[in-house]
Amino acid sequence: MARTVLQTAPSMPALFARAAVTARGRGGDLPDTRLARTGVRVEAAALAAYDRVCGFSLADPLPPTYPHVLAFPLQLALMSDRSFPLALPGLVHVRNRIDLLRPVRADEALDLEVWAERLARHPRGATVDLCASVSAGGAEVWRSRSTYLARGAKAPEGAPESDLSLPVGELPRPVATWRVPDSAGRRYARVSGDVNPIHLSGLTAKAFGFKRAIAHGMWVEARALGALTGRLPDAMAVDVVFRKPLLLPSTVTLATAPVVGGGWDLAVRNLQSGAEHLLGTVRPL
Amino acid sequence: MAPQTRKAAIVGGNRIPFARSNSAYAQASNQDMLTATLDGLVARFGLQGQQVGEVVAGAVLKHARDFNLTREAVLGSRLSAATPAYDVQQACGTGLEAAVLVANKIALGQIESGIAGGVDTTSDAPLAIHDEMRRVLIALSSARTLRQRLEALAGVRPGMFVPEAPRNAEPRTGLAMGDHQAITAREWGISREAQDELTVRSHHNLAAAYERGFFDDLVTPYLGLTRDENLRPDTSVEKLAKLEPVFGTGDPDATMTAGNSTPLSDGASAVLLASDAWAAERGLPVLAHLVDAQTAAVDHVHGGEGLLMAPAYAVPVLLARNGLTLQDFDFYEVHEAFASTVLATLKAWEDPAFCKERLGLDAPLGAIDRSRLNVNGSSLAAGHPFAATGGRIVASLAKQLHEAGPGRRGLISICAAGGQGVVAILES
Repeated sequence: MARTVLQTAPSMPALFARAAVTARGRGGDLPDTRLARTGVRVEAAALAAYDRVCGFSLADPLPPTYPHVLAFPLQLALMSDRSFPLALPGLVHVRNRIDLLRPVRADEALDLEVWAERLARHPRGATVDLCASVSAGGAEVWRSRSTYLARGAKAPEGAPESDLSLPVGELPRPVATWRVPDSAGRRYARVSGDVNPIHLSGLTAKAFGFKRAIAHGMWVEARALGALTGRLPDAMAVDVVFRKPLLLPSTVTLATAPVVGGGWDLAVRNLQSGAEHLLGTVRPL
Repeated sequence: MAPQTRKAAIVGGNRIPFARSNSAYAQASNQDMLTATLDGLVARFGLQGQQVGEVVAGAVLKHARDFNLTREAVLGSRLSAATPAYDVQQACGTGLEAAVLVANKIALGQIESGIAGGVDTTSDAPLAIHDEMRRVLIALSSARTLRQRLEALAGVRPGMFVPEAPRNAEPRTGLAMGDHQAITAREWGISREAQDELTVRSHHNLAAAYERGFFDDLVTPYLGLTRDENLRPDTSVEKLAKLEPVFGTGDPDATMTAGNSTPLSDGASAVLLASDAWAAERGLPVLAHLVDAQTAAVDHVHGGEGLLMAPAYAVPVLLARNGLTLQDFDFYEVHEAFASTVLATLKAWEDPAFCKERLGLDAPLGAIDRSRLNVNGSSLAAGHPFAATGGRIVASLAKQLHEAGPGRRGLISICAAGGQGVVAILES
């Protein structure tokens, strides 16, 4: 296994550009590479901007989704590298799992490590898991597994089946309505650095086969968890599947239901069609 | 049914360190700070998921969207969502007034527990659009024809694009609070040296209180701050003497500087109050009881009284009702809006003419033992996020009284914009 420690976060626009021009001719197995950064500090102004966009209160414990923002540039570096078997353009985020092992404070120095694993077969292509582990003081405090679908791609012979099933209880009752504006993708791109063109404008999204710009899955997840501020366990497992892309602009509803034993079930659906954009579970750890 | 009254207990408090304007909390909203402060209180007293009788808090500088600030903070906190809340606003008296309101409901048996608080930010300030621009936009929204719309838009002038920032000035006099106080300081002959000495004592007392761990169970760090940002433990009369006056500068003998005036600050505080029984059921301490409170107001516009002199009027009423003299207290917490405010108030209580003519008393209230004044520092050192000051004082004084032993008495005096004052008695 090759482990590379980066001194700074890589430039994401450059990575997206590299991924686009090197998209063709990819294939084979996942690289056995791990990318890491050590002693990463959260920038107060960046956190505040993220909180505002996602509906979190500015507090010392980080939002459960915030470490993803720190780890994502490394994951993007991994995915944009020529050794990565799937083409980044058109890759769709279909599932995200986060384990928050304890509250992480904004002033802690964090060590990040990311890698890819589990190239799997999917009826519409292949999926891959981008994993991240975040440690503080030598102990893991947060980990995540983001599953991406490459439509039309082929997983190697003998690859396992992709698992995107998530049992979620009945969620008949919408608790909030969000008018998600056309600018939602650009706003989240500014605070997360995820400048994937499919989120930025209708024109750039069309180039990748979407009717309109689509919201970042991680923004929808963060916004849903932000709506539960003050009512989430200190340590928790969050598991969400992203179903229909949330086309911008849209009006959507959030449905929540508390679960016996603690935690929540969640759904974000289109107000008109009822189409599911996100289904999720939160369980105490 | 006339309910029997009881004295509300002060169980404890929590605040975040106070920050200087546009500094550590520059990105934090009032709701962020109040929520963090409530969550700190919840953690300290094991209130997670619990319902308290009522949460009462407020902010002086408030965005229009924050009409339900306290309730929204409760909903974002770890308190039960079934906890009712409401906002109050009485300028710098907000925090203490909130505590009085909670205590009164507890006294009447209407609630068993409650949280009083306050928050203010001078960094994340509620800028408003220029008032004439606002009128244009209102006219525009009601215009039906293109012609009406164009007529409305024709009223736009370049200057209207400049937003209006909240000013620390009295609406009816146009004077900044500091300039008002400069008049009072001159009238009462409060010297620069006396103001600087009081300021140094505030910093030294606050620093000493931090050193001995007094704030360990009163303050929760927030966004990297662990102590009040304005605190200067090493300040001295010599250092303060170098500062130029900033208020009342038309007077060649102006005395009020940035040192002996409170800085613009950001912060929040909260106090947990309860009936004795509620505290006992949960094994929580009773630090002190809120015995009684009084407000007063003066006519600072046409009446010739100083803007910040209302507490001087409120205290004798409170003393008389409770059969006490000004000397019957172990500790005095006189809010240091400006050093000269404290000194002018104390001087007024010693002044036979003022006490007779203005307060209608036969004899002056007299002097206090200065060693009992603001013993753990006050606003000059800690900073003064307007609505958060009352909660800071109530919790600190209650703890100080508790440490001193049972039967100790403390007096709180807070002046407020609009010529108002809120005063209260606590007893351990």
